[in-house]
Amino acid sequence: MSAAPLLSVEDLHVEFSTHGGTVQAVRGVNFAVDAGRTLAIVGESGCGKSVSVQSVMGLIPIPPGRISAGSARLRGVEILGNNLIDGRDVRGAEIGMIFQDPMTSLNPTMTIGAQIAEPLRVHRGYGAGRAREEAIRLLDSCRIPEARKRAGQYPFEFSGGMLQRAMIAMAISCKPALLIADEPTTALDVTIQSQILDLMRELQGETGMAIILITHDLGVVARMADEVAVMYAGKIVEHGSVDDIFYRSAHPYTCGLRSAMPVNDRSRHAELKPIEGRPPDLFAPPPGCGYAPRCPHAMQLCGREHPPEFAIGPGRTRPDPAHYSRCWLHHELNRQRPPELHFRE
Amino acid sequence: MRFTLLMWPGGGMAWYVCKRLLQGVLTVWFIATATFFAMHNVPGDPLLNDRAMTPAIRANLEARYGLDQPLLNQYLIYLGNLARGDFGISFTQENRQVNDIIREHFPVSATLGILAVVFAAAGGVLWGALTALYRNRLPDYLIMFLVILGISVPSFVVAALSQLGLVSLNNLTGRSLLPVAGWGSVYHMLAPALVLGLSTMAYLTRLMRSSMLEIIDSDFVRTARSKGVPPALIFSRHQLRNAILPVVTVLGPQIAVITTGGFVVELVFAIPGLGRFFVEAVQQLDYTVIMGTTVFYGAFLVFMVIVVDLLYGVIDPRVRLQ
Repeated sequence: MSAAPLLSVEDLHVEFSTHGGTVQAVRGVNFAVDAGRTLAIVGESGCGKSVSVQSVMGLIPIPPGRISAGSARLRGVEILGNNLIDGRDVRGAEIGMIFQDPMTSLNPTMTIGAQIAEPLRVHRGYGAGRAREEAIRLLDSCRIPEARKRAGQYPFEFSGGMLQRAMIAMAISCKPALLIADEPTTALDVTIQSQILDLMRELQGETGMAIILITHDLGVVARMADEVAVMYAGKIVEHGSVDDIFYRSAHPYTCGLRSAMPVNDRSRHAELKPIEGRPPDLFAPPPGCGYAPRCPHAMQLCGREHPPEFAIGPGRTRPDPAHYSRCWLHHELNRQRPPELHFRE
Repeated sequence: MRFTLLMWPGGGMAWYVCKRLLQGVLTVWFIATATFFAMHNVPGDPLLNDRAMTPAIRANLEARYGLDQPLLNQYLIYLGNLARGDFGISFTQENRQVNDIIREHFPVSATLGILAVVFAAAGGVLWGALTALYRNRLPDYLIMFLVILGISVPSFVVAALSQLGLVSLNNLTGRSLLPVAGWGSVYHMLAPALVLGLSTMAYLTRLMRSSMLEIIDSDFVRTARSKGVPPALIFSRHQLRNAILPVVTVLGPQIAVITTGGFVVELVFAIPGLGRFFVEAVQQLDYTVIMGTTVFYGAFLVFMVIVVDLLYGVIDPRVRLQ
């Protein structure tokens, strides 16, 4: 294995100019994913998680969007802004992507089969017949019954869950090294969610592709992810292995998210504990930590200066990432760490 | 709403077409009836206009044309003739069958109209897509300014101005590049067809622009980008085809607008179309010609609307029958 990760994103900044001013949607984001691994990016609506991956894929409209700084390298080759390696589009070929709402993410006037065949025709130069046969095979491998008949149908003849399966078939048609799933189950009901997640895992097992999973559902994270990046107000505030995030949460925001998870346990008489307040205005981001106004442990310093990454612990075995948190509480001079920031395993 | 009819259980495509044609016949009957009674309620009558007439000649003529009979009888006779496809004889032009007038002059109007519709549809889709792609930039502003002109300036003004333009163009080059008026060759058709289709083109441009703007940022276009589909294919396969749907829906009524607008343009460009007969017949209360041209135009438009609706099903699979 080479040392370079499959995809590494560094110092990504994305802003949008609007009538009301410039929104700094993503403010310096770093993440990386290795082959065969799943990275989950979690955060609430508007925290910049979708914008981050869509910028990498060249999907944000420019203007009003603008990638003001950063880099995204696929196997060491810069793809940010052009999506090209050796003059070929990596989208659809090396990176597949699925989206939140399968009902609107497919072209209503094209058959499902033709839409799945499209990347094969574009990237592999398949003829119509061969691409169609491959599309049917892909539908079948995504557990769609009567694939041959289904390939000739239109999106309005499919249910939501079936459409998301078709989306997955389309995204993996050229056997990409990376699948980006942008809230793939948010629009689906719970039983279908579970089937879609299982399908993604199975396909990952078969092909060894990496997955970047964008979600706000910690249940999905726990089930799917190897490592997790928690985003808040355009920055990654905590990053670590899935165990680090769930059992050794270091950032107060991660702890807030965890305690805001509904618990299905009558004996604990649990009430839902929301995080009070709302995220900062990204038209004028605060100079310090974005979470400070909502944070129960905020110090004077937090409002003034943005915390750097503090290492919480080293990656324990090689593929496990280092666990770090952007929170002043973890500064080495701070000896009074609130006890709830260390959960016992 | 019209398309919900398509979803009727047990209804096949052939059944749908039959039903639409039946509805069409009903519409044409209604047009014929309304025109007939409206026309007979206009003061005066076709025999009043020119020569002095003795009561005896007048009575003879009335008997000859059936005008002495009760209105209801006239109506029933008329419907009977209509059902046989006989529009009757003109009251004012010597020895001319209305059917002959239509047969001779309608092809001219239809050619002009169809060419105008083609210009309007092609231009509207093209300019509309272009303005959407260049949203809020110079080409967008420029075309949208012209669109407002095209919608608000009446066609007889545009027609006269375009003739003026053609004259100066021909003078400037010293050759007759395009004929200023008349009929005969393809070159005679270009200017009047363009003028005739202009306001519809402007309207379709606006429609296409807004529907294209909706499509440009739609989820499935984003999906196509995420698949690495080249921009030209995204434009033709994903954007254009979906954005064109609302344009096709209004095409039927717009064909009506263009064909009726044809009367004025035919007059200005001295084109021997059906429009002149229509207008003159109303002025002279030439009962049979009024009826003939109106009913014929009505039937033609009803038919075109049905054709456009069927065309819509070809483009959009959601309204197609399984």
